[in-house]
Amino acid sequence: MAEIIPEEITITDFAVREHRSLWGDAWRRLISSNTARLGMFIVALFVLSATFAHYFWEYEPKKDLDYSLKLKPPTLVANEEVPSVHIFGTDKLGRDIFRRVVHGGWNSLRVGIVAVGISLFFGGLIGLFSGFYENINMTFMERLFLFGLTGLMMGVLAAWIAAQPFQTFLLAGLGVAAAYFDDFYKGKPLRMVIFAIAGAVIITIPALFVGSTVALICGGWGLITGALLSRPLEGRFFSNVMMRLMDIVLSFPGYLLAIAIVAFLGPGLEKGMIAIGIVGIPVYARLTRSAVLAVTQKEYILAAQSVGEAHGRIIFRHVTPNILSPVIVQTTMGLANAILSAAALGFLGLGAIPPEPEWGAMLGDSYRYLTSGAWWAVLFPGLAIMFSVLGFNLLGDGLRDALDPKLRT
Amino acid sequence: MNPILEIKNLKTRFFTTDGVVKAVNDVSYSMEDDEILGVVGESGCGKSVHALSIMQLVPDPPGKITNGEIFFEGRDLLKLSEKEMRTVRGRDIAMIFQDPMTSLNPVFTVGFQLVEALRLHNDITKGDARKRAGELLSLVGIPGAENRLNDYPHQFSGGMRQRAMIAMGLSCEPKLLIADEPTTALDVTIQAQIIDLVKRLQDELGMAIMWITHDLGVVAEMADHINVMYAGSIIETGKVRDIYKNTKHPYTMGLLGSLPRLNDPPGVELISIPGLPPDLIALPKACTFAARCSYRNEKCLAERPPLEKTEGSDHAVACWRWEEIAGTK
Amino acid sequence: MNTKNTPLVEVRNLKKYFPVTGGFLQSRIGDVKAVDDVSFEVFEGETLGLVGETGCGKTTVGRTMLRLYEPTAGEIIFSDTDLMSLNEGELRHIRRRMQMIFQDPYASLNPRMTVGSIVSAPLDVHTKMSSKEKYNRIQELLDIVGLNPDFVNRYPHEFSGGQRQRIGIARALALEPDLIVCDEPISSLDVSIQAQVVNLLEELQNELGLTYLFIAHDLSMVRHISDRMAVMYLGKIMELANRDEIYLNSLHPYTQALMSAVPIPDPDLAAKHHRVILDGDIPNPKNPPVGCNFNTRCPMAKERCFIEEPEYRQIEENHWVACHFAEETGA
Repeated sequence: MAEIIPEEITITDFAVREHRSLWGDAWRRLISSNTARLGMFIVALFVLSATFAHYFWEYEPKKDLDYSLKLKPPTLVANEEVPSVHIFGTDKLGRDIFRRVVHGGWNSLRVGIVAVGISLFFGGLIGLFSGFYENINMTFMERLFLFGLTGLMMGVLAAWIAAQPFQTFLLAGLGVAAAYFDDFYKGKPLRMVIFAIAGAVIITIPALFVGSTVALICGGWGLITGALLSRPLEGRFFSNVMMRLMDIVLSFPGYLLAIAIVAFLGPGLEKGMIAIGIVGIPVYARLTRSAVLAVTQKEYILAAQSVGEAHGRIIFRHVTPNILSPVIVQTTMGLANAILSAAALGFLGLGAIPPEPEWGAMLGDSYRYLTSGAWWAVLFPGLAIMFSVLGFNLLGDGLRDALDPKLRT
Repeated sequence: MNPILEIKNLKTRFFTTDGVVKAVNDVSYSMEDDEILGVVGESGCGKSVHALSIMQLVPDPPGKITNGEIFFEGRDLLKLSEKEMRTVRGRDIAMIFQDPMTSLNPVFTVGFQLVEALRLHNDITKGDARKRAGELLSLVGIPGAENRLNDYPHQFSGGMRQRAMIAMGLSCEPKLLIADEPTTALDVTIQAQIIDLVKRLQDELGMAIMWITHDLGVVAEMADHINVMYAGSIIETGKVRDIYKNTKHPYTMGLLGSLPRLNDPPGVELISIPGLPPDLIALPKACTFAARCSYRNEKCLAERPPLEKTEGSDHAVACWRWEEIAGTK
Repeated sequence: MNTKNTPLVEVRNLKKYFPVTGGFLQSRIGDVKAVDDVSFEVFEGETLGLVGETGCGKTTVGRTMLRLYEPTAGEIIFSDTDLMSLNEGELRHIRRRMQMIFQDPYASLNPRMTVGSIVSAPLDVHTKMSSKEKYNRIQELLDIVGLNPDFVNRYPHEFSGGQRQRIGIARALALEPDLIVCDEPISSLDVSIQAQVVNLLEELQNELGLTYLFIAHDLSMVRHISDRMAVMYLGKIMELANRDEIYLNSLHPYTQALMSAVPIPDPDLAAKHHRVILDGDIPNPKNPPVGCNFNTRCPMAKERCFIEEPEYRQIEENHWVACHFAEETGA
């Protein structure tokens, strides 16, 4: 073939489609879906009304009391009997339900954010590390850190039983020691025995001050923990221990565990948030771990290792951005769940302390007046719970469709 | 020698959010009832979509056959109802797919799936179907066929699964077997086994086979006719010797040139085709290959060439300058 | 081509076993011998081709050689440095001299990073370049691999497979390495794009004096690009020789069968070609056959092959074979 003259050929070396980023694509898909738009609208309404009410519409629950207005049905105009307008009616103490619903929104928002924040932070970190090190060898420092972290997590349970917080740090120290003295009787049963005994001793002695039964339980737990920590030091082991720990938490029914934690911590909205947050940790840990496992199988992780990038850099530059999609979806759905849980706790009288406005507590306060015909006292807080949960769920569904990589060509 | 399949002006489109993907553009050809037709092209050239169009298995939405006629034994398949089409699929035309790992259902035994396929189109008892299934597996060269009927797909290796798929395709003795990249996922030594098997089966059973592939090497030794596809159209068609020995279209030349041969002397540079295939959403008015073609002139950029016959009665090429190019060689 | 006989990499008795775990405690119940006692050298400036079928361990050889996988046993000597003796930090430092190009251009580029940051990753890690210098270097690299330098801020999903593979090549070239392990860099590309990439790799080798370990299953493409070729089967090298020696004078029955199974894009030659068709499938690597690995499919297997494992030995100069009867086949 004689005629090939390279200069004549202008290579169309790029497709004609316009430049688009992945997040931009996802956003476009999100706003093109009706359900997602509805979800966004409800969520925006909820967030804005709660925030504005909190900052610009003063409300002092402790002083809000007017028996003359007890259980008045919704009115749109003032009349002689009811001189002020109550579009949602009033409750048993004559308080305006509309005002309490709007202010209750702020509390629900706080619960959602704090509880999901706790679950996401701890669950996300556990999932990230245990997923990442499942298939990747640890360096010396990482080993110290992760085994310390394993010890710390194992110690929390012992510390809780014995009510001696510093036991967590003793077990964390044992984990670090196990990682540091890696050569110490390497691979021999003797190593296991030594660490098991050390574990039993260091947490039995403080527990003895509390009582002999507690000491026995703690001692047994310490024995197991010490033996576990002395096992071969691989990422897979760290991952296994963390996930079994999560399985233990997950094996309790969620509400029961939350109630147990609140019972332990004492009532109050803040305690409720912590309880709901702790219950959610395993969900996020599992989700993150499975997402990380999928990402670490990808060749670009190997490519990053082959150019000599450090593990920390790989985790934050390559792994984290690629697991965000499922985590964002779960977080949105989780907000709905947290609001629902907080309402349940409030209904049982374990969440917000009256007269603090909180949707669940409002339901709990008013349901017995249903028989006397005061439907409005129950309906409006109930609708508020339903709509906020619905809004977050719709948004979450929309996000899932928008972020699903399978739809991308 | 009768034409078993005749396609006229077939057009298939995918209506996506990014635009209309023109996957198959005006494809016309016919196929004899005992030949092996090789359909060759790169990914996105429409070779698989055109086969799915014949079977009317194009995912709809977003896909749609917008134009054309597909005559199978004189009947226009596009005019058949879905129910009538279902009797054509499997009984008259069978199709086997690229990925043997996912085309068998993992929760049923291979034997069960074969028996199901057999009983779908034939009125036979379970016992007879099972016996026939065993025969089919041994026909496709699976050792100990009777015993392997109770195996699940994961107990089969990749090559054996593809054999099982071929057995399933043959279960109703179809008149046309469409094989869509059946050996792409397999290793060369296994590929050689499958090719050998298909050639043997064609000799024994005498059906027409359409073999879709990106590998010019595979079809060279088995096909009678070749269609070369590019950007949704057939750009060259002819007898296998014409395509390889008397190549007319610059794209086919480029494809052949970019293949290394085992007997190349050292230091030979491969002839690569510069650039990329066109975006099927924004197909140019011009010859679809013009942007990558070193022989193009103004006419090539202005108008798309039709598929026209060259001196050989079967050999057709879609290029304005094939005669000049043949002269320069 | 100059005399290529200074070894850049020497691999001796390399083994990589992956544990098979099972049971309640996920304990080790066996091994998959992905790479089992493999020895070879890669000479400076040459291309060593490594071919084999699925599951033969060729990819594992490449990755273990760079210590991306921790070897079970063996020595890897990279220009007089024993890689096995290095700790994590020293290893990271030497990685700048050996880079890798990956098989799947869709999975080997982080979809959330721009082309610019993908290519600059090795520069961030190993150099103290200013961002201006980095930018210039990225532009230069994209130009070298034939991509439009204006596209630094685009994301991988905006490119075709061949272009993505070029991005991967630019990343591998960023630090001017001595050795590049090309792990099936063309097998997921279209035929006409394969030739583009292979030509680019050859061009770069001539200009920059690179050494390649070229891993692929496509025998004709490996023969095209390589100076010497090694054929692997079930974790072992079956034959290693000069590319023409392998083609014209292969001594191992597996090499012969593999060679004859390659489809020929020429109807006349294909019709004349006598094809050796091997029976059966590749055995499960978890449970390899006793004796010679190839004995289940070998057309010439004799009693000895089922008892004794053949020694991997040098038959002629630079021609290594692992077959009991190699001398007879050659004669």
